Amino acid sequence: MLTRQISLSAPIFLSIFIFQEAVVNQFKLPGGGFSLFGIFALVWAVISTPEIAALTGFGAGILMDMSHSAGGPVGQWTLIMIIVCYGVSYLGYGDGNINGNPIGVVFFVVVANLITGLLFLASSALLGVTTGSFGQILLTLLGNSLWTLVLTPIVLPVFSFMHHLVFETRSVL
Amino acid sequence: MRYGGEGRTRLLLIILIVTALFLITLDLRGVAVLDGARQGTQTILSPFQKAGNFILSPVKNFVTDITHLGRTRNQIEKLRADNAKLKADLLNRKNADAQLKQLESILDLAGTAGYKVVNTRVISQGSSQSFSQTVTIDSGSNAGIKKNMTVLSQSGIAGVVKDVYPTSALVMLASDPAFKIGVRIAGTQQIGILSGRGSRSGALQLLDNLTTVKVGDVLLARGSVANRPFVPGVPVGYVTAVDNSAGEIAQTGTVRYYTNFGGLGVLAVVVAASSSNPGDALVPPKPVPTPIPTVTVYVTPSPSPTK
Repeated sequence: MLTRQISLSAPIFLSIFIFQEAVVNQFKLPGGGFSLFGIFALVWAVISTPEIAALTGFGAGILMDMSHSAGGPVGQWTLIMIIVCYGVSYLGYGDGNINGNPIGVVFFVVVANLITGLLFLASSALLGVTTGSFGQILLTLLGNSLWTLVLTPIVLPVFSFMHHLVFETRSVL
Repeated sequence: MRYGGEGRTRLLLIILIVTALFLITLDLRGVAVLDGARQGTQTILSPFQKAGNFILSPVKNFVTDITHLGRTRNQIEKLRADNAKLKADLLNRKNADAQLKQLESILDLAGTAGYKVVNTRVISQGSSQSFSQTVTIDSGSNAGIKKNMTVLSQSGIAGVVKDVYPTSALVMLASDPAFKIGVRIAGTQQIGILSGRGSRSGALQLLDNLTTVKVGDVLLARGSVANRPFVPGVPVGYVTAVDNSAGEIAQTGTVRYYTNFGGLGVLAVVVAASSSNPGDALVPPKPVPTPIPTVTVYVTPSPSPTK
């Protein structure tokens, strides 16, 4: 069962990753722009079981690490995404007010996105990766969060529908 | 609500985290397999990025006017379609003209200094999620580009080649927080180190505490051993503010880069520098102030005012 689900999820993740790299990254948007792939992975994790969420984080993190624009060493995004995806899924699992409610999902995704950025900064400091001035970091974190807040409600129905197609365990948000 | 199968999930979580830590360790130790994986990914992504760049070029200029595709039932519809096509052509032409202008300026700059360059187009902006400032260009090792080569824009330094793939390369922009370049001030030859700040301004640190810098001073690249990563003489920017704090060992300042990192379309990678140092030959000319015409109005009072 799990193998079938992973084999169905993998092409979806790959497609969105390629879309992110080939299309979204073409634009230099104000406030640092957004990561559609990051939003997708977090939405997927929020509406999944913790087990699937951890695997989602691992797969998404590996792809993010493979991106040539990933600043740190291979494995850094993997580690962060595993922790964040598992965390949001564990906290919201079984609570219909969180993962069964679109507003709850959006809130979780925005907060998780912010935590992802903060974890990246913390791990970068430990690994010796330069991340820029305080003002620039603040601007990027705020910009990313705002973009995520705006975009997540728009893409949530699509991502939720994809999740429903793969897992067939829940109603579409 | 607590999750049921916690034991198995925790075991899975631990295995995944250990795997991630294992990957980080391998990468930090410089294991070539991981570099190969990144290179392979970029090789696969490069055609998608080129296609995306080609398709989205007009959109990237924030002007989109693509309407009426295929529905030409009557003359008005046909004219509208023609009009839209002409507009799209015009947009593509404007885009090409802008890139041509950038290319001309780059070739002027490279020609004056005698650099041998490979011209490339920017096909992707780096993700800002990693707090880095990078772009991807559409030429790589197949075109003779190697790691740590200087990258020029139409106005001066744009960055340095960070990673090279067969048909593309990753350029770390001069605005990247990790970017550092040895500079000298044109004319006075004082030397210092310029660091990126994540924006168009950089931080200058002079090395000698006996020298001074003033607003408006032009900075040029000092050059590196064997001209890598930096060839000498490339214009970098000009000083916009000077910090004269008493506690500083040497003077510091703020520098504005000549390159506008938000509008990079065409770049040139210096694959071979000239045998002689161009010195101050590449210092950009100061802008000539536009004369403001003065209008003098003479008013002669009438001899007898009317009632």
